[in-house]
Amino acid sequence: MKGLFSYLIFPGFLFSAFIGLIAGWLDRKITARIQWRKGPPWYQNFLDILKLLGKETIIPEGTSALTFIFSPFFGFLSAVLATTILGRSIIFPREGFLGDLIVVLYLLMIPVISIIIGASASHNPLASLGASREMKMALGYELFFLFCVSVVIIKTNGAIQLGSIINHQMSFKSNIFSFSGFLAFLLLVLFYLPAKLGFVPFDAPEAEQEIIAGTMIEYSGLGLAIFKLTKAILLYTMPVLLIVLFLGKDLSALFLILKYLAILLTVIIIKNTNPRLRIDQVLRLFWGPVGILAFLAVILAGLGY
Amino acid sequence: MKLYPLFRLDTLNGFIGIFIGLFFVLILIYSLDFMWKKRNLLQYYFYIILTALFSLVVVFTNDLRLLLVFWGLLGLTLYLLINIADDEKASLTAKKTFIIVGGSDCLMLLGIAIIYFLSGTFQMDKIKLSFNSSLTNLAYLCLVIACFAKAGAMPVHSWIPDCAEYAPLTVTAYLPASLDKLLGIYLLARISLDLFVMNSIMNIFLMIIGAITIIAAVMMALIQHNIKRLLGYHAVSQVGYMVLGIGTGVAVGIAGGIFHMLNHAIYKSCLFLSTANVEYRTKTSELDKLGGLAKILPITYLSCLVASLSISGVPPFNGFVSKWMVYQGIIEKLTAYSAQFTAQRFVAILCLVAAMFGSGLTLASFMKLIHGVFLGQDGDNKQVWAEVSWRMWLPTVILAVVCIVFGVFAYPVPLKLFIFPAVKGIDFIGTWHAGLSTLLIILGLVLGISIFSLRDLKPVFRKDRPFMGAETTALELTKVSGVEFYNTIKELKVLSFIYKKAEAGFFDIYEQGKRFVFAIGRGLQYLHNGVLPSYLVWCLLGMLGLFYVIIFK
Repeated sequence: MKGLFSYLIFPGFLFSAFIGLIAGWLDRKITARIQWRKGPPWYQNFLDILKLLGKETIIPEGTSALTFIFSPFFGFLSAVLATTILGRSIIFPREGFLGDLIVVLYLLMIPVISIIIGASASHNPLASLGASREMKMALGYELFFLFCVSVVIIKTNGAIQLGSIINHQMSFKSNIFSFSGFLAFLLLVLFYLPAKLGFVPFDAPEAEQEIIAGTMIEYSGLGLAIFKLTKAILLYTMPVLLIVLFLGKDLSALFLILKYLAILLTVIIIKNTNPRLRIDQVLRLFWGPVGILAFLAVILAGLGY
Repeated sequence: MKLYPLFRLDTLNGFIGIFIGLFFVLILIYSLDFMWKKRNLLQYYFYIILTALFSLVVVFTNDLRLLLVFWGLLGLTLYLLINIADDEKASLTAKKTFIIVGGSDCLMLLGIAIIYFLSGTFQMDKIKLSFNSSLTNLAYLCLVIACFAKAGAMPVHSWIPDCAEYAPLTVTAYLPASLDKLLGIYLLARISLDLFVMNSIMNIFLMIIGAITIIAAVMMALIQHNIKRLLGYHAVSQVGYMVLGIGTGVAVGIAGGIFHMLNHAIYKSCLFLSTANVEYRTKTSELDKLGGLAKILPITYLSCLVASLSISGVPPFNGFVSKWMVYQGIIEKLTAYSAQFTAQRFVAILCLVAAMFGSGLTLASFMKLIHGVFLGQDGDNKQVWAEVSWRMWLPTVILAVVCIVFGVFAYPVPLKLFIFPAVKGIDFIGTWHAGLSTLLIILGLVLGISIFSLRDLKPVFRKDRPFMGAETTALELTKVSGVEFYNTIKELKVLSFIYKKAEAGFFDIYEQGKRFVFAIGRGLQYLHNGVLPSYLVWCLLGMLGLFYVIIFK
C-alpha cells in the first residue's frame, strides 16, 4: 500500500507530473519573454493535457494497433517508477536497495524505447526517420553519460546505491567540488540534459520544421497526451537525478528547489540561444570532443582530483 | 555401475544438463514443421540427438580425457549439421567452423597434457593448480581459447556470424546460440573456479577480452542488413558479458556471468526461432524486403519483442538481472583495488562503461530489427497470409515466457535454484524488487485502462491512413527500411575506416590464417615447378647432405 501511494501520489506520478508541468510552463514563459511575447498562464500545460485527453485518437491503418496504443504507456509508467525510486531515496536515503542507481538509469531508457517502438508502429516514413534519429541520439549521449556516472562511482568509493551516494556527499562534500566532478557535471548539464529532454539544439528526432515532429507525427489524443506527460515527468526527474549525483550535500527543500531552478534555467537558456544540430553533427560532437572530455574526467577522478 | 571417477554431478553442471534437455526438446518440436520435406532428414535428426547426448557427456564428465574426446565430437556434429543445408556457402562455412573449432581442440589437447604433466591426474575434482609457472599459464590459456572458440568470444568468433547466415536456422538456434554457449562458458567457469586458482592478471585478461568482444561485435551487428547475420554478431557480443562476469573473480560477477549464459541461451534461441518463423513465411531474411509483419505474425512478433528487450537488458526481463549482477561484480572489483592500483581500477571502469554502453548498442540494433521486420511500412511480403503453425510458435512462446519469469521472479526461481548453489561464497546482495516494480507497472496499466473505460472518459479511436506532406499517395514510394537506420554511424570517419577493414576480413582470424598458410604454400609452390631436372638437383643435394652426415659424423 505504501508502495502504491508513493508510486501514484508522492513522490511518484501526481507530484512529479505537477512539478514537471509547472516547469514546462516556466520554459514556455521564459522562452516567450526572450522572444518578446507575453507567454501562457501557469495552468496552460494542464489544460493542454486535458484537451488532448478529450480528443479522438487516430490509429494509422495497417499497423499493429495494440503496439501503437500501448507503447506510450510503458514509457510513461517506467518513467514514473524511476521517479518514485529516486524520490524515495532522497526522502529515506537508507531505504534503497543495492544497485538502484543502475535500475534507475535503465528505467529512464524505457521512455526512449517506447518512443522508438511507437514511432515504428506509426507506419509513416517520417516517423521511421524520427525513430532512427532518436536511437542515434540516445547512443550519442549515453556514452559520455556513462563516463560521467563512473566519475560519481569512483568519487563515492564504488557506491551504486542512490542513498549511499547522498550519504557520502553529506559526510564529505558534494561531488561537484572537485575538478573531475565539476567537468562531468558541466558536460551533463550542457549536453546530456537538453539531449535527453529533447530540447533544441538536440531535438533532431522531433524536428517540427524538418520532419513534422518525426516520432510524434501520427500520435494524437490519448497517446500524445501520455507522451507529453512523460516528457513533463522527465523534466522533473532528470535534473533531480543530476542533483542527487553531484550536488547531494544539502537536500533540504529550499536548496533542492534552488538547485533545480538553476539547472532548469541553464537548459532553457541553451535552448533559446542555439540552432538545431543535424544528427550526424550531434553524433560527431558527442562521440568526439564531449566524449573525450568525459573520459578526461574519469582519468582525473581515477587520479584523485 | 560405479560412475564416480568418470562422471560427477554437482550444483554447477546439474542445471546446465536440465537446460540442454529443454533446448533439445524445443528444437525437436520446432523442427517437425520447419524441416518438413527437406533433404537428409534422417541424418538431421540423428545428428541433433547425437549432439544432445555428447553435450550431456561433456557436462557431466569428471575426466579430462572423456571431456576432450566428446568436445571434439561436438565439433564434428556441428560441422555435419551446418552441412545439412547442402549448398556451397554452407559447406564453406562448415569448413571454416571445423577449422576454427577443431584447431582450438588441438590447443585443448595441449592444455590437458600440461595439466596431466603438472598434477598427474585426469580427474577434474582432484586438480587445483595455481599460476606459479609459465606452464600453468600456458595450460590455462590453451583451455581458455578452446572455450572461447566454442562460445564464440573474440578473436576466435568469426565462424558464428557465417554459421548464422548460411546454416539452417534450427541448427543455429540449437548449437551456436544455446548449446555451444552453455558448454563453452560451463568449461570456462569450471576451469576458472575449480581447476585453477585465479590470479589478478588472468582476471584482468579475461575482463579485457570480454569488454572488447562486447563492443566490437555489437558495432558490427549495428550495420548488418541480414537479420540472421545481425543475430550472429549478437551471439558473439553477449559472450563478452559472460567472460567479463567470470573474469571479475567476485562471487556476484561470476554468478552474473553464469546466469547471463543461461539467459542468453534462452533469448537467443527464441530470437533465432522467431527469425526462422519470419523466414519460413516470407522466404527471405533481408531487412529491406521485410516490414510490417506484426499484424500477420502477432505471436512471433510478441515473443521476438520480449526476447529483444531481454537481450538489450531492459527491466524487468531476465537479461537485465544478469547484466546488473555483472556490473555489480565489476564495481565490487573496482572497490577491492586500493588507490595505488590505478591501472587496474582504470581497466575496471573502462570495462563497466563498455558493458553498459554495449547494452545500449544492443538495444539500438534490436530496435532496427523490430522496426525493419515487424513494424515500419510493409515489405514485399505478398505470399504471407497467416501465423505459423502451433508447433512453430509454441517453442518461441515458451522461451519468451521463461524470459519474463526469470526476470520478474529472478531471485526466487533461477538464482536460488540454479545459480547461487553453483557459486560459492555469495552473500546476496540487496534484491531489486523486480516483482514489486512489475506489479506497480501492471497496476498502473490496469488503473489507466479502467479510468479510460469509464463512460464519459472513453477515448474515441478511429483508423485512418497515415499522412505525409499533406497527401497520402506518396507513402508507397518512400519506404524507410531498416537498412539505412544507422548509416550516419557507419559514415563517421574513424568508424568507416574500421568497418571497411572488418568487412574485408581483416579482424577475422580465419582469413588471416588462410593468408598466412597460403603465403607459405606459395613459397613451396615455387619449388614444385614440375621440371624434372630441378627435382633431380634436389635429389642430388639431398643425397650429398646424407653422405656428408653419414661419412663425417
